[in-house]
Amino acid sequence: MSIFEYNGSAVVAMVGKNCFAIASDRRLGVQLQTVATDFQRVFKIHDKLYIGLSGLATDAQTLYQRLVFRHKLYQLREERDMKPQTFASLVSALLYEKRFGPYFCQPVIAGLGEDNEPFICTMDCIGAKELAKDFVVSGTASESLYGACESMYKPNMEPEELFETISQALQSSVDRDCLSGWGGFVLLVTPTEVKECVIKGRMD
Amino acid sequence: MSRRGDWVYENNGGTCVAIAGADYCVVAADTRLSVGYNILTRDHSKICELADKCALASSGFQGDIKALHKNLAARELLYQHQHNKRMSCPAMAQLLSNTLYYKRFFPYYAFNVLGGLDSEGKGCVFTYDAVGSYERTGYSAQGTGSALIMPVLDNQLKSPSPLLLPARDAVTPLSETEAVDLVKDVFASATERDIYTGDKLEIVVINKAGTKREYIDLRKD
Repeated sequence: MSIFEYNGSAVVAMVGKNCFAIASDRRLGVQLQTVATDFQRVFKIHDKLYIGLSGLATDAQTLYQRLVFRHKLYQLREERDMKPQTFASLVSALLYEKRFGPYFCQPVIAGLGEDNEPFICTMDCIGAKELAKDFVVSGTASESLYGACESMYKPNMEPEELFETISQALQSSVDRDCLSGWGGFVLLVTPTEVKECVIKGRMD
Repeated sequence: MSRRGDWVYENNGGTCVAIAGADYCVVAADTRLSVGYNILTRDHSKICELADKCALASSGFQGDIKALHKNLAARELLYQHQHNKRMSCPAMAQLLSNTLYYKRFFPYYAFNVLGGLDSEGKGCVFTYDAVGSYERTGYSAQGTGSALIMPVLDNQLKSPSPLLLPARDAVTPLSETEAVDLVKDVFASATERDIYTGDKLEIVVINKAGTKREYIDLRKD
């Protein structure tokens, strides 16, 4: 079994009208055995920028720590927050540094840029960026998520509808994946507020 | 069996879906036949009407599937002559399971969904693995696009747990036209992301009036 499937994960991000949502499951497992049910895979970089790291949990945490460190240095030097596009390039560069011994993570980056323009992107474990206008998915439940998002997503959703859509897509997808699930974490970011929500789900 | 070379199976792709309702059953499959990155034909039916109230949709290796369908059709004909009636859908389900398990150690590379009406006229769907393990359900998806379609069907149809007591009916609450629309939707979505699904969608609707076939265009890329 692939090292990407060692802990199990599901991460998804969607774009709405002047807003975005990013969501993940909460399971941490060692292959088929569940170890924790409150594991965080979505991390805050600043108020309008978040990153979800699917794949190997230890690499996700290490990568997150390095990203926070680099972002803080940027804040000190530039006295401002990073733009999502800039941050995506930073993640990509950090990953490509380890081209021949990679972090086993597939990041999902979501943020609000200048003029509150939503930005989402994903990349592979060595930093090949993939920008999307609608939604991005990653993790062991990615195939289910592609199916669910492709059916449920529509452009220009209002925040309330976007929240419902991403939650339904996440829940129905992880229920068909053995390695992810145990509830979900959904983050809805609009220009004025951030809504964090833990959703309950099947416990198997 | 005695002279098995390296080349035994191929995956020709394709997706099969079936939904059972109170008095109907919808069986659908795309018509693309592919090998690797190539499309062999855009017009290959994966659905076989084995009896008057029974349709089988299969994906996997079309060579095995053709042999399997031929075998089942022959067995159904024998049944007609011996019993002077057509085979029921649950009987065909058991026969398919036995036929698949008969080749347990050199299986038919076929993933089947059997749909039809049972003896009471209720819709039924039977879903299989390659070696004959099967279950009666309210809806099912098999083949290359199954992982994309199944969560959507779960979300829209939500069947009761098989562990519940007393046992509940697995049929879906949708009307026939709603079920056909749902099938069209999920195939349109699967076609966006699965390279083995596309070209055309063949839908067989079985109800007490009989069966009717319908074709819908899907993306050809």
